[in-house]
Amino acid sequence: MKKHVIQALILCVTLMTVLSACSGGSSKKTITFWTPLTGEDGAYMDQLVKDFNATNPEFKVKHVITADMYTKISTVLSTGKDVPDLAIIHADRVPGFVKQNNLEPMTAIMAQQPELKEENYIPQAWNTGNIDGVQYTVPLDIHSHTMYYNKDLLAKYGVEHWLDDNNVTVEEMLELQGKMEEGQYVVNDALLGWGMMGQIQNLNGDIQVDGKPAVDTEVFRKAYTEVKKLNDAGLMTPFGEDGFLMFQAGNVIFSTDGTWTSTAHAAVEGLNFGVTNIFSVSPDKFTNRSSSHLFAMLKNDKRTDEKEAGIGVFLEFLRENSMEWAKAGQIVASKHVIESPEYKNYMQSFFTSSEEQTKSLYIYTYEHYPYIAEAVDVYSNDIVRGNVDMDETLATMQKFVEDKIAENSGAQ
Amino acid sequence: MVKSFSISKYVAYTFLVLMCVIWVIPVIFGISTSFRSQTEVVSTGFRLIPETWVIENYITILTNTSTAPIMRWLINSVFIATAHTFLVIVVISLTGYGYSRMKFKGRNLLFFTLLGISFFPGVVNLIPSYKIIDTLGWVNTSWAMIIPGLAGMGNIFLVRQFMLGVPHEFDESARVDGAGDFKIYFSIILPLMKPVLIVCGLFSFIGSWNDFLWPVIVYTDVEKMPITAGLLLLQDIYGNYRMIGQLMGSAILAIIPTLLLFSFAQKYFIQSINLNSGIKG
Amino acid sequence: MKKAILPYFFVGPHLILFIVFILLPTIYGIYASFTQWNLMNEPNWVGLNNYKTILFNTESTFHVQFWNGLKNTLLFVLFSVPLLIVIPLLAAVALHHKRVKGKGVMQAILYVPGLISISAAALIWLLIFNKQLGITGNIFNSAVAWATTQPYAWIIIIVITVWGGLGGNLIIYRASLAGVAQDLYEAADIDGAGPFRKFFSITLPSINFPLIYTFVMTTAGAFNVFGQPLMMTDGGPQQSTHVLMMYIRSLAFGHGESIAGMASAMAVLLGVVILIISALQYYVMSRNAR
Repeated sequence: MKKHVIQALILCVTLMTVLSACSGGSSKKTITFWTPLTGEDGAYMDQLVKDFNATNPEFKVKHVITADMYTKISTVLSTGKDVPDLAIIHADRVPGFVKQNNLEPMTAIMAQQPELKEENYIPQAWNTGNIDGVQYTVPLDIHSHTMYYNKDLLAKYGVEHWLDDNNVTVEEMLELQGKMEEGQYVVNDALLGWGMMGQIQNLNGDIQVDGKPAVDTEVFRKAYTEVKKLNDAGLMTPFGEDGFLMFQAGNVIFSTDGTWTSTAHAAVEGLNFGVTNIFSVSPDKFTNRSSSHLFAMLKNDKRTDEKEAGIGVFLEFLRENSMEWAKAGQIVASKHVIESPEYKNYMQSFFTSSEEQTKSLYIYTYEHYPYIAEAVDVYSNDIVRGNVDMDETLATMQKFVEDKIAENSGAQ
Repeated sequence: MVKSFSISKYVAYTFLVLMCVIWVIPVIFGISTSFRSQTEVVSTGFRLIPETWVIENYITILTNTSTAPIMRWLINSVFIATAHTFLVIVVISLTGYGYSRMKFKGRNLLFFTLLGISFFPGVVNLIPSYKIIDTLGWVNTSWAMIIPGLAGMGNIFLVRQFMLGVPHEFDESARVDGAGDFKIYFSIILPLMKPVLIVCGLFSFIGSWNDFLWPVIVYTDVEKMPITAGLLLLQDIYGNYRMIGQLMGSAILAIIPTLLLFSFAQKYFIQSINLNSGIKG
Repeated sequence: MKKAILPYFFVGPHLILFIVFILLPTIYGIYASFTQWNLMNEPNWVGLNNYKTILFNTESTFHVQFWNGLKNTLLFVLFSVPLLIVIPLLAAVALHHKRVKGKGVMQAILYVPGLISISAAALIWLLIFNKQLGITGNIFNSAVAWATTQPYAWIIIIVITVWGGLGGNLIIYRASLAGVAQDLYEAADIDGAGPFRKFFSITLPSINFPLIYTFVMTTAGAFNVFGQPLMMTDGGPQQSTHVLMMYIRSLAFGHGESIAGMASAMAVLLGVVILIISALQYYVMSRNAR
């Protein structure tokens, strides 16, 4: 017994040394590319990377999908080792990264690749990476809050005309008060917080005043009051029930979720659905609150100028060849792609079909947007469902955001 | 006497069968859901058997990405969990012996201090832990998975508690016969510890197998990942529950190996229990 | 001399591992609790400010979060720990019965839920409790949306916890019961002792030490609860199931810039609470041990 244990320990130590020795760094000719694209999205991106590598570029790309990318980025930044050459980050992360001086500007790459410029992308996707005149990111896509509708139910209740102006208003939806069959509803509460952020735009409001967060405002009050009417009229799926599944089961006219769920809806046989803009509290304006996947370079001393040039080649390749990404349900940011006839085959092409539509895709760029979004996500359901006092809760939300900002400003 | 024995038998049976039914229904429901289409999941109510059996969920899981070497992940997991478990047993048997049978100054104080420190939630210690792994050069290697868990106090606490319940007669008579600590440890205590070591080994194996937060942080290379971290990559970032059958399928796939191990260990585990009571009785 | 260093051969290797992988990170965590820190830049020392805010500034969001989270965590501990001790103990005693057959299968059935990942387990139970699709709605005709109505929200959290979490203690009890000398029971049988008397006067005292272990560790584990409320109720309704660990995690690893200093301070305070309660449990139970 004793002998065995000692032998095993020796074996372990040997193995340990061998394994540690094997863990070399990545090659100088490889671009390490991190994305948070798990699931099918990752497979589509992988195909794009493969296509690029097949063109025999000087710098090949190695795609690494990570399930918890932002935490992982914190860890590698803390040691300064294993920092990726290129990463995909979300739009709302840009201000934070830039403020902490963690992003490398795209300036040099843009100088080498003249086609990587605002005119060639959906403007808001491009501009979300521009801070104080410096461009830090190049966009891959916009992923947006969208409203799916059940065609059969629209016909059943005779309200297909709601879609005519591409703007389904709360007022229109209220017409069906008391007319719904038992167990059927007009709209679900999926991603309610995203919807509320869109309504703020519909009311021509904002979430900041002079750089200070503005949540406890008349605009928020008005937005919540309007949306709450849908709940009070019994038109919204009951609180706590899975409105997404109820839509798939054919009992809800509208589902307010994201561009990326079209594939899941398509997997349900017999669900006859289409896509339109998120309902609006205003007859004059509709907004689909959006985010964006952006290519960014985290600060890394080991990234050579040659490699940076290689990254530029890759980004230019994607600008011209990212049709594959449309399969993921996302709105591709490159105009080269969305203006090609093939793109029309994808449901999400609706959102770039006209100038007005493109404008409806709204990306918040306020520095402290993530905290506001968090507060809105936490409290929206309770407000809309009438479980809490609206004024009190708005004050709590305002305080929530302010406290977090105050705590954070000391951490620089 | 015989009568009370049979009554208690029926009470025991009723209780166990009732419990097993409650416990197994959700499992069966989960398995059956992995064989149902999204259409069926959202349209028909609760069913233990699918109306139509489909295997598309599994096909999608197993083929949907070129970057998912599932067999490789399974091998990695087996290697990591086995190595970890083996080392855990070595460490906890030694340490457990030290804290329950050896006499040295401040023994209990040291033990309870360590136990107390280990109660502090480690959730925010991710960055320092990562820095330590990085300093050791273990980032992106299996050692980041195998070694840090050995420091845990839970298993040692359990071994110590077990040893407190084992009478000192055995080792003391050996000590009178002139045996040293090593001899007592190897020839007397280790066999007595067998059941608790098997229990700890099982916990460690399953714990190591199911850990997915830490491997996501320490691995970069897809080929080196264990299965639970790998499966995370297959799930959709925006709430994987959208495709219900697929989520169930991947969860079922991930438990098959541990389930096999459990059934295997359980036999051994019951045998050695009898063996233990044989020694004691 | 040899005698003096010998103990360190036994406890030394683990002690080194402990210092490197637990003590050092914990010290860093405690240090971070005295700073403002966003995980990326260097922490900025602020002394006792975080603790003052959490404990005394009644206006602060962090104060509200901490106390609400702690209250909910304590409720969870109170509801779940007794069940996680008693149910597996009864099951182990029943499985220990000599004439019961199919022990292996039954034990496996009770253990399997613990192997299923929390996200899949939560989905299974959410479907079961779903009003349209589940058992509660269809078979029991319950019109309640369980996840968003108290006390049902707590009930589903406790149900999934006990369902998924009893396996570990069950196995410990099984292993402990097997160590109880059979002759004690035989002697009791001869004395005509009933099953209840045997349970309280033989079984329980014989497994006293493992029982202390399960009590202390189950409680400490319950204080760290996070996954079940997150997946089942997302802290609702109105944050009445929002446990402390959820607040800590969303502060440190949430969507906005990390507020890790405050999160660390909350974690340290939680650690102190766990420490006090475990120490009390251990002290009280050990005093009564044989």
